[in-house]
Amino acid sequence: MNNKVATRIIAKLDIKPPYVIKPIHFEGLKKMGFSTDFAKKYYEQGADEVMYIDIVASLYQREILKDEIEKTANELFIPFGVGGGVRSIEDFSSLFHIGADKVIINTYAIQENPDIINKAAEIFGSQAVVVNIEAKKWDNWYECYTDCGRIQSKKDVLKWVKEVEQRGAGEILLQSVDYDGRERGFDLELSKKVVDSVKIPVVVSSGAGTLEDIKKLIEYANPSGVAIATLLHYNKFTISDIKKYLKDNDIKVSR
Amino acid sequence: MSCTIGIINYGIAGNIHSIKKSILKAGGDVKIINTKNDFSNIDKIVIPGVGSFKDAMNELTKNDLLDNLKKFIKIKPTLGICLGMQILSSIGFEYGKTQGLNFINAEVKPIIVDAKVPHVGFNEIEVINSNKLLKGLEEEEFYFMHSFEVVNYTNIVSLTEYAGHKFVSSIQKDNIYGVQFHPEKSREAGIQLFKNFIEL
Repeated sequence: MNNKVATRIIAKLDIKPPYVIKPIHFEGLKKMGFSTDFAKKYYEQGADEVMYIDIVASLYQREILKDEIEKTANELFIPFGVGGGVRSIEDFSSLFHIGADKVIINTYAIQENPDIINKAAEIFGSQAVVVNIEAKKWDNWYECYTDCGRIQSKKDVLKWVKEVEQRGAGEILLQSVDYDGRERGFDLELSKKVVDSVKIPVVVSSGAGTLEDIKKLIEYANPSGVAIATLLHYNKFTISDIKKYLKDNDIKVSR
Repeated sequence: MSCTIGIINYGIAGNIHSIKKSILKAGGDVKIINTKNDFSNIDKIVIPGVGSFKDAMNELTKNDLLDNLKKFIKIKPTLGICLGMQILSSIGFEYGKTQGLNFINAEVKPIIVDAKVPHVGFNEIEVINSNKLLKGLEEEEFYFMHSFEVVNYTNIVSLTEYAGHKFVSSIQKDNIYGVQFHPEKSREAGIQLFKNFIEL
């Protein structure tokens, strides 16, 4: 079955400010360049959105570094999702004020206080609240990890996504600790299970190695969006290459 | 001719940053309206759109912006964006029933569709009654991000189809314009929309 609604093609920047870095299994960081340059490049290539995730803020328990985020936002006239180290309603508010359109949250919501999802949705609207899932596969279940794939939560991914939907989250960003950065394709089963479990949009990330991987994911799981990092960062393909390939294969994407 | 656009800043929930950036890029000047005394020396008004219907109306009331906003909407060209368009309606049903600004005879209701909600992403518009705001933009795609839609039977400028469901994606009544999508997030087409608004 092909998608009846255009699948969003999203550029994902994993950030250790001010650098875009490439994690492998969320480990082994390699500096790729400045977030502002990358964001601008992907905007010009026709990305539908940019996601900016400070992947060390939570782990180091430091505050969010806003200057880089604001500078990056200034390059963009498309939606901009920001996450990493978000711990309060004030964090949400200040990120919106410096140019974020969506705020992405994981660690604090799952490890400390899931009620922040409800509260943020009521104040800012569901569409502005994205819950990031870092899924780790076990024999017969998936566990939510936090702090950039380092800390266990004991929460079952499929139960947690339903819970956050009920609490008012407007979107899921689904990442896989096992598949991330390996360029061997997406976790198709996990993606389909999560997409089918909730009514809110699911953006799938982690694993694209070829254009065909992206096509297979959309055909199999029909996510609302696909977030790409490595393929783009190494200039293997541009956003326009990806969109053209998908269009040629009868998959609907925006222009 | 310079044009100063006042952006309503309703407290915690406004995303004025990106709208300001787009208006500046389109060649306009911006004045942020934080209090009821800031309505002087502006030519036009933009009501931005992040938050929930109920919260937006609460914030406008709490910040004492409501009366002056209503007064100026009557006399200045006004553009409501996303939630900013929705609150121009009579009633909203997000987190309970809330009275809106009541300029457009409409209700704001959840999108009911056999697909993912919120509706998020670039989508086309089908112009029913062309207007100056959308001039030259009839074939463009715009970015949508919403769970609610304006349900009205008059003042419709364009419709948009999402998974087989058509909803109102822009409205106009006299000098009052509303767009459900986010022009500030819609690439060059969005900048052009702000240029059109400046030139009204």
